[in-house]
Amino acid sequence: MRREIHAGSTIFTFACLLVVTALSVNTVSAGVSAINCQAHDGKCSLPLGEETVTLEIMPRPVTAMQDSTFTVTLSGKTPVQAPYLDLGMPAMKMGPNRIQLKPAGNGVYKGKGVIVRCKSGRRTWFANVVVPGAGEAKFVFDVVY
Amino acid sequence: MSFIDPLYAVFLATGFTVGFGHCVGMCGPIVVSLSLNLKGRNLYLPHLLYNAGRVITYTLLGGIMGATGSFSMVAHNIAGIQQGALIFAGIMIIIMALAMSGWLPLGKIFGDYYNPKGFVVRGFQKLSRIDSVTAYFPVGLLLGLLPCGPVYTALLAAAGAGMNAPTTLEGIIKGMIVMFCFGIGTVPTLFLIAKLVDMGWLKNRQIIYRIGTVLMLMVGVYFVYQGLMF
Repeated sequence: MRREIHAGSTIFTFACLLVVTALSVNTVSAGVSAINCQAHDGKCSLPLGEETVTLEIMPRPVTAMQDSTFTVTLSGKTPVQAPYLDLGMPAMKMGPNRIQLKPAGNGVYKGKGVIVRCKSGRRTWFANVVVPGAGEAKFVFDVVY
Repeated sequence: MSFIDPLYAVFLATGFTVGFGHCVGMCGPIVVSLSLNLKGRNLYLPHLLYNAGRVITYTLLGGIMGATGSFSMVAHNIAGIQQGALIFAGIMIIIMALAMSGWLPLGKIFGDYYNPKGFVVRGFQKLSRIDSVTAYFPVGLLLGLLPCGPVYTALLAAAGAGMNAPTTLEGIIKGMIVMFCFGIGTVPTLFLIAKLVDMGWLKNRQIIYRIGTVLMLMVGVYFVYQGLMF
């Protein structure tokens, strides 16, 4: 009985590794957030309540493993605290990568950060802009490796 | 000078959580290969040494990030080494798979020139059959250089800790602790994988070895391909 359980667990491990590896080979993943921001072309805007959040990433094209400047522009009233953004991949956990934005006047906030590279070859990333007291806007875009 | 930082706990937890979600796919095949290579022998010390090597490499990289405070500069400079580590890992997995299955008959390959004490043959044997337990330590040191998204994210935090530190020394220490915590967090998953494929109890291991060989060959080729495309 114990051996059967062990045999089952060994085969299960192999199967899991095979599936995970196969999924990581496939660069087009199912069920992943759809791209809603053409970050290579310029600014992207998303609604947040009655206001609008605009994101711009420079330099373009948006490239992984290099310093990038993230500029967030908020329409409407000033939030209680400066917004921040979390970078991640829709398809894979990459660990916390938060960029604190600093006010630059007229509803504009700026911060520097790096989009890292995933060995799987996947290129779709998101920047979740969090505006304290107002909500979140999730920009999904492709990067260049 | 305070070295207590919530960042350490965050990256310890990150290592643990991404371990189950990410390392299973990326480092899992390597751990399986190393476990199968043990052929049922005690796995604890070899995997302890492999993980110690990996964590030491992470910690040293964290120190470099903390010293410079610049992720992109260091990452750019180590990209070539990481590419080499990726290709090496792929080749090592392929050779281990071929040797494990018996599909790598060194005598046939080298024909009349086959000399078990020869340099090339010894090299193949060392790669395909890690007899010495201590060899797992340098393997871990080298494979700690494998490029991986969550490792990059942790290195980014180490560079950030260094950038915000008042002195270079404090930056180095903080960067090292961030990466040490991250590395330690990933260990339970890799140990669990090693334990799951432990076959000391199994009398007839041939089926497992064959399944493992095919998987390892696929993963090895994929690693080499990724290394070439890196």
